[in-house]
Amino acid sequence: MASAAAATAAAAAASIRERQTVALKRMLNFNVPHIKNSTGEPVWKVLIYDRFGQDIISPLLSVKELRDMGITLHLLLHSDRDPIPDVPAVYFVMPTEENIDRMCQDLRNQLYESYYLNFISAISRSKLEDIANAALAASAVTQVAKVFDQYLNFITLEDDMFVLCNQNKELVSYRAINRPDITDTEMETVMDTIVDSLFCFFVTLGAVPIIRCSRGTAAEMVAVKLDKKLRENLRDARNSLFTGDTLGAGQFSFQRPLLVLVDRNIDLATPLHHTWTYQALVHDVLDFHLNRVNLEESSGVENSPAGARPKRKNKKSYDLTPVDKFWQKHKGSPFPEVAESVQQELESYRAQEDEVKRLKSIMGLEGEDEGAISMLSDNTAKLTSAVSSLPELLEKKRLIDLHTNVATAVLEHIKARKLDVYFEYEEKIMSKTTLDKSLLDIISDPDAGTPEDKMRLFLIYYISTQQAPSEADLEQYKKALTDAGCNLNPLQYIKQWKAFTKMASAPASYGSTTTKPMGLLSRVMNTGSQFVMEGVKNLVLKQQNLPVTRILDNLMEMKSNPETDDYRYFDPKMLRGNDSSVPRNKNPFQEAIVFVVGGGNYIEYQNLVDYIKGKQGKHILYGCSELFNATQFIKQLSQLGQK
Amino acid sequence: MAVDITLLFRASVKTVKTRNKALGVALGGGVDGSRDELFRRSPRPKGDFSSRAREVISHIGKLRDFLLEHRKDYINAYSNTMSEYGRMTDTERDQIDQDAQIFMRTCSEAIQQLRTEAHKEIHSQQVKEHRTAVLDFIEDYLKRVCKLYSEQRAIRVKRVVDKKRLSKLEPEPNTKTRESTSSEKVSQSPSKDSEENPATEEHPEKILAETQPELGTWGDGKGEDELSPEEIQMFEQENQRLIGEMNSLFDEVRQIEGRVVEISRLQEIFTEKVLQQEAEIDSIHQLVVGATENIKEGNEDIREVPHL
Repeated sequence: MASAAAATAAAAAASIRERQTVALKRMLNFNVPHIKNSTGEPVWKVLIYDRFGQDIISPLLSVKELRDMGITLHLLLHSDRDPIPDVPAVYFVMPTEENIDRMCQDLRNQLYESYYLNFISAISRSKLEDIANAALAASAVTQVAKVFDQYLNFITLEDDMFVLCNQNKELVSYRAINRPDITDTEMETVMDTIVDSLFCFFVTLGAVPIIRCSRGTAAEMVAVKLDKKLRENLRDARNSLFTGDTLGAGQFSFQRPLLVLVDRNIDLATPLHHTWTYQALVHDVLDFHLNRVNLEESSGVENSPAGARPKRKNKKSYDLTPVDKFWQKHKGSPFPEVAESVQQELESYRAQEDEVKRLKSIMGLEGEDEGAISMLSDNTAKLTSAVSSLPELLEKKRLIDLHTNVATAVLEHIKARKLDVYFEYEEKIMSKTTLDKSLLDIISDPDAGTPEDKMRLFLIYYISTQQAPSEADLEQYKKALTDAGCNLNPLQYIKQWKAFTKMASAPASYGSTTTKPMGLLSRVMNTGSQFVMEGVKNLVLKQQNLPVTRILDNLMEMKSNPETDDYRYFDPKMLRGNDSSVPRNKNPFQEAIVFVVGGGNYIEYQNLVDYIKGKQGKHILYGCSELFNATQFIKQLSQLGQK
Repeated sequence: MAVDITLLFRASVKTVKTRNKALGVALGGGVDGSRDELFRRSPRPKGDFSSRAREVISHIGKLRDFLLEHRKDYINAYSNTMSEYGRMTDTERDQIDQDAQIFMRTCSEAIQQLRTEAHKEIHSQQVKEHRTAVLDFIEDYLKRVCKLYSEQRAIRVKRVVDKKRLSKLEPEPNTKTRESTSSEKVSQSPSKDSEENPATEEHPEKILAETQPELGTWGDGKGEDELSPEEIQMFEQENQRLIGEMNSLFDEVRQIEGRVVEISRLQEIFTEKVLQQEAEIDSIHQLVVGATENIKEGNEDIREVPHL
């Protein structure tokens, strides 16, 4: 009994990725729970999705897994589709006008045998009637086998990380929320979109959270709406989505999770920060989204004969999935460690390869030496095991190749732009330790980094200083930046932002930290490996808490802190509708979800993961309305600064 | 958690129906709705392909049921000593094996046939892809069912081998671990095994059988009731020698057994790989042929240039 309880407690904190995958698989199995049966008859079906559905499915299920579920074809809703007789079709789309129109068209054209309609978020009654109308007109009512509201309107990227959407992220971007010319109705739409996704998230998680948010921000608006929506749903006993049987494992944990809603504006330095951990670097420096990284392979330094066509660069893309053990282990590691580990993996792989080759040569002796025959029977067994382990070996090789390519690409960027220097310097700025090099020097240095890097550095400096630099200094900086080729619009916006936040509250401090450069030569440099990191500092990260992590720590552990004391408190399960600033629950929370309204990134995520690693039995999920890297964020700031 | 709104949908259909009736809107549905649906259905190409695919699947299903039904009896090793219920003679087992093999062959032929036909009539890329995938599924299903068959066949062969080993005259405890290797590496072509093993197993038996009468004739030839001590000693030594010979033969046979099992398994893996490579080699061949042509044409073009 005790172990069962422990197991379910662990399951209660089950990853959101698992839950969403299970829900998808059930949907693909005609909305019946999926059981693996080794001698089951094959059933085949066609999957139709829109771009939203595609974004949700692609990080979770590979094409092979779709095949295993019996899907022969997967097609976009708004594409040319031919009629395929005698095949059931599973639809997974958002209930928008154009999608509904296209579905009605499909019904009229009798494309498939039967239709299983699944809507990513709840469909309205009137749209349902539109479909009913089309089905009647096409005499296809009996063909519509099942209709479901899936409540899966969010994208899960990691076991403990999710994003709201990818397709229409401009609608809910930082810029959309913070632009000065936004109207009330537009703001309402944005908030509704965010709340809808968060609601779907909690339905899938199967828990009703306790909500805390800061006052006077977009996060507060989201909190109010979410609370209202959850409350309405709980009151409606007949249709409540949070009843006992749907909660499942969530019932066993006596604690409800904590939802912390923060606004991007409490910390603008982190999205601009240069980083040093593997996953965050890949996101910052390469083209990486929805767990897929796209690389352009440079053609190398070969001499092409004069007059020949220039070699086309190969484009390669890799999926970084939960199956990739190396990625799972090292995505949060500092980059030099990653380089070393790839080296190690390569060496162990080569050893195994040699073992197989040795067996091959022994086999070659077979007919010649009688005395060796007694050894052979043993070796036949070894050979069989070597052959059967070949697929595993090949897979290992593929992963090593993948990470070698990715890490090499990252390293090239680091070396070209001197990202290690930027990282170290920014850490010092953010922790207010003394700077050994003047900011102006770095900005004016033509070798170090792109104009964007310099802009990022300067903005971080500007955000983190207690006192604004004097006019003369500012002019100097501006001139240096413009000389380096930077666009000054983001600065405009940051100035406004700083003025605004000064009025509201004291700017967030980043805590103290040091980065210790490792003076000793690392093993990497000694072995003359591919990852020649000469000139690149081998920096070691010391754990520091970013503002978001600090806020979470205060709220989760019920610590008293002027920063978070006046956060609002919502409990959708409480009968009385008013919020009080006094939390009812005095115990620290075991599970928390941090959601950043306005956008987040992998640096914050990694910081939270590191924070929770030290705490036994506690779990954190990280979510944001959109995921951007520094380049994208600067672009938004620039657009905001132009107005 | 997903919410089933199918009932809501049906209710909406009713609502729309009544609303349209009230508004007097003429629809394709209406009074003749149900009849229309029937008419709508029949001209639609029912799909020769899918009905045949389903036929193949039901055949394979029958094979699977047949195998599962008799599985227990088939495996039951000590059927001779058990009660009548659940007994199965070896001939029956052979019959099952044969039938299963014929069945599997016909099924895979049917699948091949479907494959060639599927691509003939259809023009649409999507339908082609769909059909290829369907056929892949069916083949996979057949493979899984065949695995059932080969598993139980392998168990049967192993039991026969074990039985023969136990039934030998030498009761010496042979706790060698060869047994584990031969039982683990179960091959997919056990027919080869069963042919070779009985052959090798019979050999030592024959030797034993031969030596028995030999001793017997010697004993009779002397015509004495008692044997002199030297003769007893001699016979004992001979016994020991024969025992030693038998043992070494036995060892060798065990070794060969183990190796043959493993080799057949390796061969199976290699056949698979070779078959996989076949398709690739074909495409490489095509590419090379194409490349040769291109180079030829290129050369000709280059030769023409000075003439301009």
